[in-house]
Amino acid sequence: MSTEQPTLEVRDIVKTYGGVRALGGVSLRLLPGEVHCLAGENGSGKSTLIKIISGVERPDSGDIVIGGESHPYVSPSDAIRAGVQVIYQDFSLFPNLTAAENIAMLTELADRRKLSSRRRIRATAERIVADLGLRLDLDADVEHLSVADRQLIAICRALVGEARVLIMDEPTTALTHSEVERLFGIVRRLQARGVAIVFVSHKLDEVLDISQHVTVLRNGEVVSSGEASGYTGRSIAKAMTGRDVNEDRHVDDLPESAEPLLIVDSLGRKDAFEDVSFALRKGEILGITGLLGSGRTEIAEALFGVHPADSGSVTLDGTPRRIHSISDAVEAGIGYVPEDRLTQGLFLDKSIADNMVAASLSSYRGKALLLDRGRIGRSMADLFQRLRIKAPNAKAPVRSLSGGNAQRVVIAKWLDRKPSVLMLNGPTVGVDIGSKEEIFTILREQAAAGMGIVVISDDIPELVTSCHRVLIVRAGRIVAEMTGSDIAVDAIQERMTA
Amino acid sequence: MSDSGSKSLTKANRSLDDGVSGLISRIQLPHGAGRMIVLLVGIFAIFSILNPRVFLNPVNLENIGVGAPEIGLIALAMMLTMLTGGIDLSIVAIANFSAITVSSLYTAVSVAQGQAAAEGLTIVFLLAGIGVGALLGLVNGVLISVVGVTPILTTLGTMQLFNGLALVWTGGVTISGAPSALSGIGTATLASIPVLFVILILAAALLALVIDRTPVGRKIQLQGANPIAARYSGISSRKTLMLTYGLSGVLGGVAGLVFLARNPSASADYGSSYVLLAIVIAVLGGTNPNGGVATVFGVILATLTLQVVSSGFTAMRLSAYEYSIAQGVLLIAVMIVDQLTFRRRRRRALPLSSETVAVQTQKAHEEKTR
Amino acid sequence: MGTLRRLRGPNNEGVLVAVILVLVVVMSLASDAFFTPNTFFGLVRSSLVPLVFALGVLMVLISGGIDVSFPAIAIFAAYTTVSWSGQASFDPTLVGAFVVAIVIGAALGFVNGAVIARFRLPTLIVTLGTQGIIRGILLAYIGSAYIASSKMPPSVAQAGDAYLLDIPGAGYLHGMMVPVVVVTVLVWWMLKYTTFGRSIYAIGGDIEAARRVGIKVVRTQIMLYSLVGGLAAFGGMISVILGKNANPQTLVGTELDIIAAVVLGGASIFGGRGSVLGTVLGVILVQLINNNLVLIGIPSTWQRAAVGILLIVGVGVQALVALRSRPQPVLLDEEVSRA
Repeated sequence: MSTEQPTLEVRDIVKTYGGVRALGGVSLRLLPGEVHCLAGENGSGKSTLIKIISGVERPDSGDIVIGGESHPYVSPSDAIRAGVQVIYQDFSLFPNLTAAENIAMLTELADRRKLSSRRRIRATAERIVADLGLRLDLDADVEHLSVADRQLIAICRALVGEARVLIMDEPTTALTHSEVERLFGIVRRLQARGVAIVFVSHKLDEVLDISQHVTVLRNGEVVSSGEASGYTGRSIAKAMTGRDVNEDRHVDDLPESAEPLLIVDSLGRKDAFEDVSFALRKGEILGITGLLGSGRTEIAEALFGVHPADSGSVTLDGTPRRIHSISDAVEAGIGYVPEDRLTQGLFLDKSIADNMVAASLSSYRGKALLLDRGRIGRSMADLFQRLRIKAPNAKAPVRSLSGGNAQRVVIAKWLDRKPSVLMLNGPTVGVDIGSKEEIFTILREQAAAGMGIVVISDDIPELVTSCHRVLIVRAGRIVAEMTGSDIAVDAIQERMTA
Repeated sequence: MSDSGSKSLTKANRSLDDGVSGLISRIQLPHGAGRMIVLLVGIFAIFSILNPRVFLNPVNLENIGVGAPEIGLIALAMMLTMLTGGIDLSIVAIANFSAITVSSLYTAVSVAQGQAAAEGLTIVFLLAGIGVGALLGLVNGVLISVVGVTPILTTLGTMQLFNGLALVWTGGVTISGAPSALSGIGTATLASIPVLFVILILAAALLALVIDRTPVGRKIQLQGANPIAARYSGISSRKTLMLTYGLSGVLGGVAGLVFLARNPSASADYGSSYVLLAIVIAVLGGTNPNGGVATVFGVILATLTLQVVSSGFTAMRLSAYEYSIAQGVLLIAVMIVDQLTFRRRRRRALPLSSETVAVQTQKAHEEKTR
Repeated sequence: MGTLRRLRGPNNEGVLVAVILVLVVVMSLASDAFFTPNTFFGLVRSSLVPLVFALGVLMVLISGGIDVSFPAIAIFAAYTTVSWSGQASFDPTLVGAFVVAIVIGAALGFVNGAVIARFRLPTLIVTLGTQGIIRGILLAYIGSAYIASSKMPPSVAQAGDAYLLDIPGAGYLHGMMVPVVVVTVLVWWMLKYTTFGRSIYAIGGDIEAARRVGIKVVRTQIMLYSLVGGLAAFGGMISVILGKNANPQTLVGTELDIIAAVVLGGASIFGGRGSVLGTVLGVILVQLINNNLVLIGIPSTWQRAAVGILLIVGVGVQALVALRSRPQPVLLDEEVSRA
């Protein structure tokens, strides 16, 4: 098998950003007709590797071998001409162009067409859509289409040319079950045609279904590689994290007397979620989980006033609250660590101290309407130490921080306001293992001091280890509640997908 | 562009930049300000050497002090709006509107009740001028923060509107008349420093205090640094933007009074080149046009630098046209140097996890299309 | 509902047509002098130069940029051409003069494009800078004097009197209308039916995605700005021919009015959206107001304010509609959750 000539091979690829190594000598052989699973946690270097293969980034050193020819790097058009196609996680579509144009753009460019013909474009798009057995409004602008349709268009675009290497970066996140099945059917057909396929997905069982070869990256290096038959979901997860999945619960007992802090009663929002009711007690860590698109994020964002609920009621500390805007939520004493830390959580070019004080500026008003800089300095130094943020000092820009430290800055921003309820959405995404544990230690400390904490996450082991209670959301409704020793990884997974 | 060419350019930039940043780190100044000090001193020295007799003449130096305030005030307003990631193209129209208001009120009262009565109401007229500036600024603020029109389109439209209304009001001619106290200020000096210049410095100091030392000023900065994160931190963009454009209008109103102080006449077309000049000054002074970064001190230095270049060019018998070339070259050169240093700093910094970046661009995109 | 939406057009062209029709009806009712060939010919004539400039602005807006240097490029190229051939007493012929001017304009546009694409700088600020530089060089080193038609090359001077249609007492249709219409159609065709045109839309839609699908973004941007420079020069020549003089002080200062017309025509300031039809309508609307406000009893001093109000109302309504139709957070259907 390994004597076969690979369609594409990368050797000893090194890529550093500044002083930090994103890839430290990664090699990968993609054989014709083989589905190669690339696994790794966020930040392990998967996306960087994909960008190097597709020509979007240049490696510092190493070789890219296509069709027996070795190159130090390739450009996007080189890669496309060599038959490398990528289905990007963010789709990379043109929102202002029609579905048909998005699909046909690649072939038009690859054929070096000078003139653009609507009929030809339409025919190209229709051919692939029919080929894949899909239904798509080809004349609609992409910005008016749903996320699932966009994902299908990205897939069509990648398959419309004569792909020899197809890289799929999380291609199934927004697809329905039948669409996934159909996609897998196509993958098998391409495989039979001799296309080399790289499959990146978090759904490890799904990956094992279809892959023949598995390569696991951790911290920019290949930590494991071999025939897919030799792996299980669990062994891949272990290779990704470098530790066994830990289901030991580390939860402090809630006192019987703990009062309800936040009472949510039949909260609903059209087309997002309905009839959501739960009560959060003082000192409790409540987990909310569900698949992407289940409504878990929407519930949190409604409670924080980002997209307010249109029915139901919220009571905080015994007082009914109307939450129509973020200001309402913040006033009421709710803090929210958002899902997308980089855009929603942080001011990347501002200092750590500026970030930490962002939500509580008005409370530092001193004499003559001016900020009391002494008091700010003391609070920030205190938070900086308490949250054990690793940086030279609080004046360093947040951009220079690692994921774990940056997340602590966002948490610190809310702790400085002393909210009664803190919600965290995906608190450990892109955070290294050490920081993960420390973040939960911080949350436990806060809970012990009486704060109510809601953790929205799809990292189930972390919910199992840390939550008093877990709510499972499916299709916009709470479908299960698990308490105490009932909380277990397999049980949660089962209820999520039901 | 040849590769070796761009490399040597990069190298030159790097050495220049390292020299400048070394200096800055020693004197603890923000990037824009440090660079401007070097530039200002350098340019001043060059003209002093080239033509000391004319350039160092007290009259010339005083002219720099009298000429700087009006454009300085407008540049400060531009900087403030750019700090939030916006822009105020209507600022000169606002200044002219304020000048026309004061001049018309003064003339109307002197015609109706005599000049003495009009002089007696000077303070009222001045407040009316500033008030009109604030009001027009708030119109921008409403359109931007409530209606949701982008700043560039809003102020493009209101520039036309305010300027058009001023034309209607004046009938398209230059009107004359201004309180004599105002003209007095225009020529007065304080310890041989023109009073107008003192006003600019006071306004700048006040603005710096607002931006750096008050909660709302810090919110304005955060709004510009990342509007989405500001929203998720409970900062109301409506309040910060209303205040920003209102304050910008006030600065424009004061600039209008300075117009009148220098010359007791007002017209809708005065200072038509100032919009562009103000942007040049703001960017030279270290303002990031995408928002989040700006220093008042840098903008004041940039104002002085351009005034020095202007009067230096006059002393060298170079034309206004050559001054305009110098402005353009300075602007583009500074932008290129900034861009190259920024890219280098980025490269030095830690990479963002690429998966999160992917999600981020997707989100940002959705946010943009909203 | 569907028909209504189709009538509205992808960039609200239908709304513009409606506004123009309403204005025409109101003006006709208000004044007998309005609905005459004179008014029509005047409108055409005054729209020619703004339309050419607007086409350039449109292309830059679609690509996600803003160009304010085009009037400076236009007058630089046209004045330089006329002035040099006048000094050398050499008549390059009308076509030759256009070619020379367009080459100069394209070269200046190339500089814009190179700086913008190579250093990825904000387009507004770069073109502000080049505007000052180009205008400064023109006035300081090439000439600041007004050139009358008698000092221009005869072929250019004569073109000023070339009418396509001349109805005594009712006005005339200028010969320069022909090249302007041809250029307008060419731009429309290019944006719609060439890969280059579609690439401009793609870059304006998502520049990173454009890079990923293999569009050579730097090369496309440089070509675009060169083309727009050439187009500006073409407009500059038309302006010199129509005005029968070359005045280096003119044109600069009109850039924001042109941008306003293009935005009224439905082009998006964020890039990716805009059409030639909308732009033509936007220019006609603004000229209609500028030329004829007086006829309905509004003093001509209201021109600027009227265009300003129109612009604010236009973009304000669009923004409010966008606010209300803000996409809801996506929830996928029951089946998805099972996937």
